[in-house]
Amino acid sequence: MPKKSPAKRKKSQPRKSRPTFRQRLWSLGWRLGLVMLVLLAGWMVYLDALVTSRFEGRRFEVPSRVYARPLELYDGAALSADALGQELELAGYRSGDGSRPGTWQQSGNRFLISTRGFDFADGEEPRRRLSLTVSGGRVSGFRVLEGGSSPIVRLEPAEIGGIYPAHREDRVLVSLEDAPPLFEEALLTTEDRDFYDHLGIAPLSIARAMLANIKAGRVVQGGSTLTQQLAKNLYLSRDQTLIRKGNEALMALLLEWHYDKRDILETYLNEVYLGQAGSRSINGFGLASQFYFRKRFQDLELQESALLVGMVKGPSYYDPRRHPERALARRNLVIDLLVEVGAVERTSAERARSAPLDVAARPSWSENRYPAFIDLVRRHLARDYRQEDLQTEGLRIFTTLHPAIQEQAERVTSQTLDQLDRGSSNTRLEAAMVVTSRDSGEVLALVGGRDAGFAGFNRALDARRPIGSLVKPFVYLTALSQPDRYTLITPVKDAGLALEFENGQRWEPSNFDHKQRGDVPLHQALSRSWNLPTVRVGLDVGVPAVTETLQAFGVTSDINRYPSMLLGSVTMEPVAVAQAYQGLATSGFNAPLRTIRDVTDAEGEALSRYQLEVNQVADPAAVHLVQYAMQEVMREGTGRSAYRTIPESLGLAGKTGTTDDGRDSWFAGFSGDLLAVAWVGRDDNGPTSLTGATGALPIWTRFMASIPQHSFSPVVPDGVQYHWVNSERGVLTDEHCENARLIPFIVGSEPQTFEGCGGDFSRRLRGWFEGLFQ
Amino acid sequence: MSQTFRNFLLVSVLSAGLAGCASDIYAPPGGGDRSPQPAPQPPTVEDEEQRDSPRLSEQPEEDTRERAPGPGYQEQGDDLSPAAVSLIERADALMADGQPEAALSQLERAQRISPRSAQVYFKLAEAYARTNNLGTAEQFTMKGLSLAGSNTRLQKSGWELLASIRHERGNVAGAEQAERRASQL
Repeated sequence: MPKKSPAKRKKSQPRKSRPTFRQRLWSLGWRLGLVMLVLLAGWMVYLDALVTSRFEGRRFEVPSRVYARPLELYDGAALSADALGQELELAGYRSGDGSRPGTWQQSGNRFLISTRGFDFADGEEPRRRLSLTVSGGRVSGFRVLEGGSSPIVRLEPAEIGGIYPAHREDRVLVSLEDAPPLFEEALLTTEDRDFYDHLGIAPLSIARAMLANIKAGRVVQGGSTLTQQLAKNLYLSRDQTLIRKGNEALMALLLEWHYDKRDILETYLNEVYLGQAGSRSINGFGLASQFYFRKRFQDLELQESALLVGMVKGPSYYDPRRHPERALARRNLVIDLLVEVGAVERTSAERARSAPLDVAARPSWSENRYPAFIDLVRRHLARDYRQEDLQTEGLRIFTTLHPAIQEQAERVTSQTLDQLDRGSSNTRLEAAMVVTSRDSGEVLALVGGRDAGFAGFNRALDARRPIGSLVKPFVYLTALSQPDRYTLITPVKDAGLALEFENGQRWEPSNFDHKQRGDVPLHQALSRSWNLPTVRVGLDVGVPAVTETLQAFGVTSDINRYPSMLLGSVTMEPVAVAQAYQGLATSGFNAPLRTIRDVTDAEGEALSRYQLEVNQVADPAAVHLVQYAMQEVMREGTGRSAYRTIPESLGLAGKTGTTDDGRDSWFAGFSGDLLAVAWVGRDDNGPTSLTGATGALPIWTRFMASIPQHSFSPVVPDGVQYHWVNSERGVLTDEHCENARLIPFIVGSEPQTFEGCGGDFSRRLRGWFEGLFQ
Repeated sequence: MSQTFRNFLLVSVLSAGLAGCASDIYAPPGGGDRSPQPAPQPPTVEDEEQRDSPRLSEQPEEDTRERAPGPGYQEQGDDLSPAAVSLIERADALMADGQPEAALSQLERAQRISPRSAQVYFKLAEAYARTNNLGTAEQFTMKGLSLAGSNTRLQKSGWELLASIRHERGNVAGAEQAERRASQL
């Protein structure tokens, strides 16, 4: 409450002094007054500088927004009804009539969806009304009922987090022109009726408020104008002291002196505090519209505007989610005020009054929901953006996160770990998982630990562990790239060996089961993950050659020069394994992992685009052979337990990895659509009773079983032919013979001799006839 | 970029599009007839997309009865889905309108929808070639070729595209090799 200026009080003092000293006192008082005046002037100059510098250089610090990938809807899209419901909820849709923007209606398999439209980096996706059916994991009958027709439509992307400034103020900037009809009237009628007439302070309102406060014995009413409120929010603390009030009034006067009313009002719209989401504060009506209604500011209806305006008085007291009755009463009071001043007709006011609060569910993105993924996004952003800009420039970051896949990955990881904990004496196991899109390298999901919501040690990015047998496909790829020396059926020796180094150390690798099998075909050595043949093949092609293969596939960590690297003494993080396996999962084309598609500024202008890239890193023919053996891993080898859960019709390929004493349990594998890497182990690097097949594979298997996808079924590349062979005997054979396998060969490397099934004529005849009628 | 190169590029990509695609994705904009043309090989796009159970190996059925399903493979890549086709049309329009960046965005959307189709990579190669990113264009052509499989028309247009890109890059030997491959088909 502003008082008279101190200078005036001082001026009145000399009147009380004795006449004999009148002259001297008068002069003293006059001097004192002058000093006070100078001080006040100085103070005003200081305040003025503060006000103008802050207001003119006012650059609201707007946090960056991080979005998931948008859901694409079209005939044939792989989608379940449940997943569609989840996606809609995450994108802020409400179950309703499907005709108001932002609502959907489901009847059986049929969905009616009314989109809100969204400004994507590559252009606007207009509002539309859609109709579609979801059955058998596919979208069909997709039609656009209203809005521009298109065979494919993107929903608005879900907001999955933000990059906030240190003070954690969050806002979405709006301009006064964006204000919905009656908004301004509602705000001014409720908060400051004389806004366009006063000079920053309204003495009458102050007097009225003071009277009310004195009556109540506490502060119950504020006489502050909008300008004062703005001054308080912009420059001052929240305590109710007289000095602060004085400063507030002075600053309000200065603001009005310098700036246009509209300018002040617009700043107020963006500054006002309207709620709290965790440690993040909701500032301005732009963000409040989204936070409470999931709507754009300009789309608010009368009752919604009234609620937000009403909340200015006490955002937490009138929080419509926690105190709906209070909020409703307050909202209707604002509507009544509008009727009172004649801004609204009675009928439309009645309609607004009778409308429910209709507040959107508390947004799931109130805090970063996927901390591990956002962590990787931040690291990718750090290559091109300054942290300060990310926190304040209101950038929009469009990521590759696939919410449904992320949720599944998180769920199966924690569920499987809980089970593993129960089944053994393992102390506190941890895990990590990386899921990418097989052909594009987009990171779809990232799990950094069993408690996925906890933003702590991100094992997917930072747990650097020996990869064990995950290295073997690269050893055999190096060998199979020399088709004159190696094919999938080349016999390799599964027999013990000892290496002696110059320093006298001996290395004697052994198989996991400590057995030795003599000559085995190469494909079997890989699919069963036998160590001894791998070391022999690796030594034959040379450790440097295998190192080169790994580096070509994108491995950047140090690779030691010792033969132990052939059994995976190379250390890598799960995300680096995913990168290296990308080339194995495609036909030898590496796609750099990406988490971001586009970054735009606050106005939607594109700043960066992170494009799809592919780089051929190996001969597709040789990779195809390795892919054969990696499929055999799943059908017959160390990964076969996956098919206890996954239907046999889903073709998969992969590789287990285990390190000494079960310290690391790995599985890396892929389908036609997805590549997933799982790791299980202990943070203290202690031993466990797990192998790749019992720790990481169950996570991987459950995950793959829960996502509808296409089989891994690689296209036979140029220069590869399939032949029926007896791989134990190393000869071409007849399709219907015992032990016949259809195996790919790089043309010219196939066996030249043929051995039939030794006189089983009737069987061959039957096969011949069946072949005829196929 | 030379005019002949542009023409060559266009011709080769055009033929890539016509080959192996159930619906004619390169029909001029506004051309009303979108009925599927006789495809060089089954299955049609629709069948591919609506097939519920994922594809298995192409090993004879006899075999799957006697043995557990073995490793799978396929002779050809997937056809473009109609949604991807519509995005490629959008990209073509954007490219014609001199907005190659915007066209690339649409092509990447198409790639996400039909990631196992050779055509989508040839289109990406074309877009990059038009913006003179020839190295990238070459990589996408090779990726497309790795998915062309036994479809000789797709292979032929891929090799021709590769030859023209390599010519433009000054890799004469590589271009000749690609031309030889194309002419053998």
